[in-house]
Amino acid sequence: MTERQQVTLVVDGVEVQAPEGEMLVDAAKGGDVEIPVFCYEPKLGGPVGACRMCLVEIEGIPKLQTACSTPIRDGMVVYTGTDRVVEAQSAVVEFLLVNHPLDCPVCDKGGECPLQDIAMGWGPGRSRVTDPKRHFRKPIPLSPLVRIDRERCILCYRCVRFSQEVAEDEQLQLLERSSSSYVGTFDDRPYIAPFHGNIIELCPVGALTAEAYRFRARPWDIEDSGSICTLCPSQCNVKFTVRDERVQRVLARDNHEVDNGWLCDKGRFGFGMINSEQRITEPRLNGNRAGWEQALATAAQRLGTGERRIAAIVGGQASNEEAYLVQRIVREALGSPHVTSIDELDAAGVEALSAPQMSASIADIDAVESVLLIGADPLNSMPILDLRLRKAVRHSNLRLTIASDRPTALDGGAEETARYAPGRSAAFLAALAAELGPGSPLDSPRQADAARLAGELRPGRTLLIWGEHLARGTGGSGALSSLFRIATSLNCASDTGGLFAVPDGTNARGVREVGCLPSCGPGFTPTRPGNTLDEIKQGLTDGSLDGVILLHADPVRDLADGPGWAKALNNARTVVAISSFDDASTKAADVVLPAEAYAEKEGTVTHPDGRLQRLRPAVPRPDQVRPIWQALAELSAALGHETGVDSAPEALQAIAASVHFYADLTPDEIGGTGVRWQTRPQAQAFPSSEAGSEEGFEEIVRATNSEPGASSDPRLASADPSPGSAPALRLGTYRDLWADETTERNVALRFLVPQQRVELAPSDAQRLGVGDGDEVDVRSNGTSVRATVALRERMRPGAAFLIEGIGDQNANRLTGAETVEIEKP
Amino acid sequence: MSRAAETRVLFRHIDEPGLATLDGYRHHGGYKALERAARELDPGDLLGAFEDSGLRGRGGAGFSMGKKGSFLPHGEMSKYVCCNADESEPGAFKDRELMMKNPHQLIEGVAIAAVAVGAAHSFIFIRGEYWEIADVLDRAVREAYEANLLGANVLNSGTRVELVVHRGAGAYICGEETALLDALEGKRGNPRLKPPFPAIQGLYGGPTLINNVETLSNLPHIVNNGASWFKSFGTEQSPGTKVVSVSGCVQRPGNYEVELGISSRELIFGLAGGPPDGRRVKAWFPGGSSAPVLTEAELDLPYSFEAMAEAGSMLGSGSIIIADDTVSIPHLALRTARFYHHESCGKCTPCREGTNWTVKMLERITRGEATPMDLEIIASVQENIIGHCLCVLGDSMAMPVGAMVAKFRDEFERAIEAAREPGRGEFDASPIDRPLTTGVQAA
Repeated sequence: MTERQQVTLVVDGVEVQAPEGEMLVDAAKGGDVEIPVFCYEPKLGGPVGACRMCLVEIEGIPKLQTACSTPIRDGMVVYTGTDRVVEAQSAVVEFLLVNHPLDCPVCDKGGECPLQDIAMGWGPGRSRVTDPKRHFRKPIPLSPLVRIDRERCILCYRCVRFSQEVAEDEQLQLLERSSSSYVGTFDDRPYIAPFHGNIIELCPVGALTAEAYRFRARPWDIEDSGSICTLCPSQCNVKFTVRDERVQRVLARDNHEVDNGWLCDKGRFGFGMINSEQRITEPRLNGNRAGWEQALATAAQRLGTGERRIAAIVGGQASNEEAYLVQRIVREALGSPHVTSIDELDAAGVEALSAPQMSASIADIDAVESVLLIGADPLNSMPILDLRLRKAVRHSNLRLTIASDRPTALDGGAEETARYAPGRSAAFLAALAAELGPGSPLDSPRQADAARLAGELRPGRTLLIWGEHLARGTGGSGALSSLFRIATSLNCASDTGGLFAVPDGTNARGVREVGCLPSCGPGFTPTRPGNTLDEIKQGLTDGSLDGVILLHADPVRDLADGPGWAKALNNARTVVAISSFDDASTKAADVVLPAEAYAEKEGTVTHPDGRLQRLRPAVPRPDQVRPIWQALAELSAALGHETGVDSAPEALQAIAASVHFYADLTPDEIGGTGVRWQTRPQAQAFPSSEAGSEEGFEEIVRATNSEPGASSDPRLASADPSPGSAPALRLGTYRDLWADETTERNVALRFLVPQQRVELAPSDAQRLGVGDGDEVDVRSNGTSVRATVALRERMRPGAAFLIEGIGDQNANRLTGAETVEIEKP
Repeated sequence: MSRAAETRVLFRHIDEPGLATLDGYRHHGGYKALERAARELDPGDLLGAFEDSGLRGRGGAGFSMGKKGSFLPHGEMSKYVCCNADESEPGAFKDRELMMKNPHQLIEGVAIAAVAVGAAHSFIFIRGEYWEIADVLDRAVREAYEANLLGANVLNSGTRVELVVHRGAGAYICGEETALLDALEGKRGNPRLKPPFPAIQGLYGGPTLINNVETLSNLPHIVNNGASWFKSFGTEQSPGTKVVSVSGCVQRPGNYEVELGISSRELIFGLAGGPPDGRRVKAWFPGGSSAPVLTEAELDLPYSFEAMAEAGSMLGSGSIIIADDTVSIPHLALRTARFYHHESCGKCTPCREGTNWTVKMLERITRGEATPMDLEIIASVQENIIGHCLCVLGDSMAMPVGAMVAKFRDEFERAIEAAREPGRGEFDASPIDRPLTTGVQAA
């Protein structure tokens, strides 16, 4: 991006320097002049000039101008305090209050209300209005989470613009006209959309209030505490509003580099779980309450005796410090190599794709020419990324290209989309790599789609966003190598558009970088190879492993073959689970240690783009809950291995000492907005990779061309399934934003908990004789999942999609199955 | 007074049966101008001629049509011409007759404008209530397409001119040019922030020329007869003829085409017959209901853009409404305010709340609940609206209402007093639905 020229203007006699073209209202701040606004909000896009609050006088222009929509020019002379301006601004306040109830004493916004502030600062101070004000039924639910008081509304349009131009759900509308206008939805339907909570924060009056925060606190009762939301990989910067040591609400803490100042509804309303009655708040031994000393001693005794064949699985909720200490316990205290992340990936592949010189930051999306989104569904796995991409398509003419097995919410804005069959992602990537690379195109059924997509992509100007889903299962490492080839062909480099991975786990990147991978220690340093997830499951089942430590990890729910994991955990001699809530894994655990909730935690996490961010405790830990880093350090000590870690910053210090590309990191350097390790000189310490060599590539081509399983199922091979026999469909699974513990543990969000559903193309449904909403059994190899049919127009025929990680009727009962049959019960 | 004469250019054959058909229009030399424009003339010269002619927009603002056209950037891009046929200003009904009786004159004008600015796609945005006229236009457009006067290759000139007649859904605000664009794009018709002006970024983000029906209907005549011919009519600053809609308390309401600059009295009395016998003109709107009212003393002013502006009012769309001495001015003010309050889009604060508040205060006068102090507030509210809104709709109420309060202050005061005395009100509590007495009904 080119630097804009600095110009000089005079605001109220003060010389101000600002970039040319900046809006006057922003430039004036440089001269310490505040111009009041209501409708102006740069996060929503261009100015609309609707509220007329920011009228100012500009020399040479006869009419007063709206400062929010006037770009500055060199030599501009502006007055914000002349009689004309004062009169006009005070008139606008007077107009706004013609229909405003002035019920500040009972309004939640009172004390933090822009209308209050501006009325005090710029208003006439008295009212000439004696006529009756308009009335509405109030406050009524706009959604189960948001209430609307239309009498307080000053019709600034912010919420409507958010719905129409940022989230693009287009549900909120201005209805009626003139002074009868009001904000609403078509036919008064509830406003259900994944980002709709943002309108509460955008509202400059008390018209939109959160159901959860109504009448809970006054601004002088509360304290805001900055931290990071760790409910998904977006890692949005948040403020926890705390009263009486409890989180009362979550607000955005604008960080353009991370979240653009938006939150998804999960992040905004998901805090209820922190105060949940169901939290595990004390250690347990075999299901019975126990003290910490006893629990730790028992854990140490059970893990540390015998051959110490112990594995550890670290979940995405873990902080870097926690993950680092777990791998130290296993590798150093127990001398076992089996440490992995629940978001395990092929180490060589992920290392190659993490190279700093080709890594993109999330903010780069705003500046690049095109984005290839492949195998990722941002709305469900990293919601804020969805908004970021929409914004770039809308405002910076981003050309978006999408390849996925399942339709995504962003397809409408894409220049080109390609849909591959579930389970065929590796083959598709190979075809695309061949299309873009120097070799000849493959003889693959996917080549036409790949060519169409490749036609859209310009080397050196494309940012590649890929979903870690691609690298799972058979062909996963091949997929990573193909991705690397694609990135190389597209000249993906961090200054023109690099690579960005969308993980499933919040801190998947950090967990892997601090050493939770089977063959890598901290910073991808090679170690004695350990077991992969599948091998751990096998080892626990057949007894070749003695036990497992689960940190924020529930393999029974979140990994493929849930029943197999349940069996493995039941067979295991020792299971130590560290968790906030009871789940299938804690049920099988001998020792359960209570975990902190995210608002209680101190530590760091690593954003998918490599930004280290600080978690800071906003509320005290309940009951017996201790910091996990502390519990782990004590466990290590009980196993006879002193870690030397006595505080969270010391744990970070230890990480910085062993992860070379994190070297010298301190909490101060990370600060409030985080720091991308790729931008620090220490990034040079990142190990250079040998993946992606021509040799490796040939191997991939062979591997993916053979397409394991392509012809193993005779029912797939027959183009025309014989009538009578149920035709098989390829099984795909996906994450649903709301199908997780956060939603289930939160009373307020429970209405969003999805039921298992099977998505079908209309043509398949017709062939199968099932319709939208029908209940069916999705079967494979004798197991079945009960689901409701949902028809998707844009879906590729021949596939069926189920939600993974769902609480009831989990699709991972069927995983491993390539095809499924659908039958009415 | 002797009956004054009209100067008919646009209305020349207006009452001839069959003028609305292609043959009827061609009989009088129709589409010769388009043929020249598309085949012979350089688009730049065309725009130059329009600018030289001094043709000013007939929709209300009176901006030079040629100059507006020259603001559109040159070069290959999607440009548009939109004809604003959303004639909704109370008092205006000239476009209605122009389109109803001579649709091809407008179609030819739109096509010439499209050729001049290089727009492949043009639209006529017609108000929804003109459904009958939209049918007439649709028929005429079909005829024009069939005769290759519109289409991919107009008169084999290699120029593409597509024309679509789009029917509005009946909101006054859609006559505001940027709201019209939003409505045409399928959105709620709300005015946009300017700049960017439509000439730079208009319909679908492309450069767009927007002109009124009458403005565009003038173009064939300018092409046929030249800029200096056009300037031979009217005054220096207001060249040409103007179709004026005269309504209200006059004996012969209707559309009259006159040279700009003729005496207003000649127009109102000579052509429209003046108020019924025995009555006097009390107040008159020279340019539709949004123009500040003038009084009897101002009847001898020339009817031109500049003279009306000098008198503190405006020629606007050229629609004269006469209120005679039977009309109550507070009543007229309330009726005017109610119209604009009802039609305000609600996007910007001063218009939305100002029109609402003004109506409430004027209603209190009729209910006998007002004091003279309210007149101060009404006047100050109008001042607070003028020039502070996103578009001119707010001003359209504030200017006439403000003028009425200023010029007829004692009548308002008397009305307040009278209404406060039970049973002796100058006008009863619900007179608002009573139609204004017109000359026709009185006769």
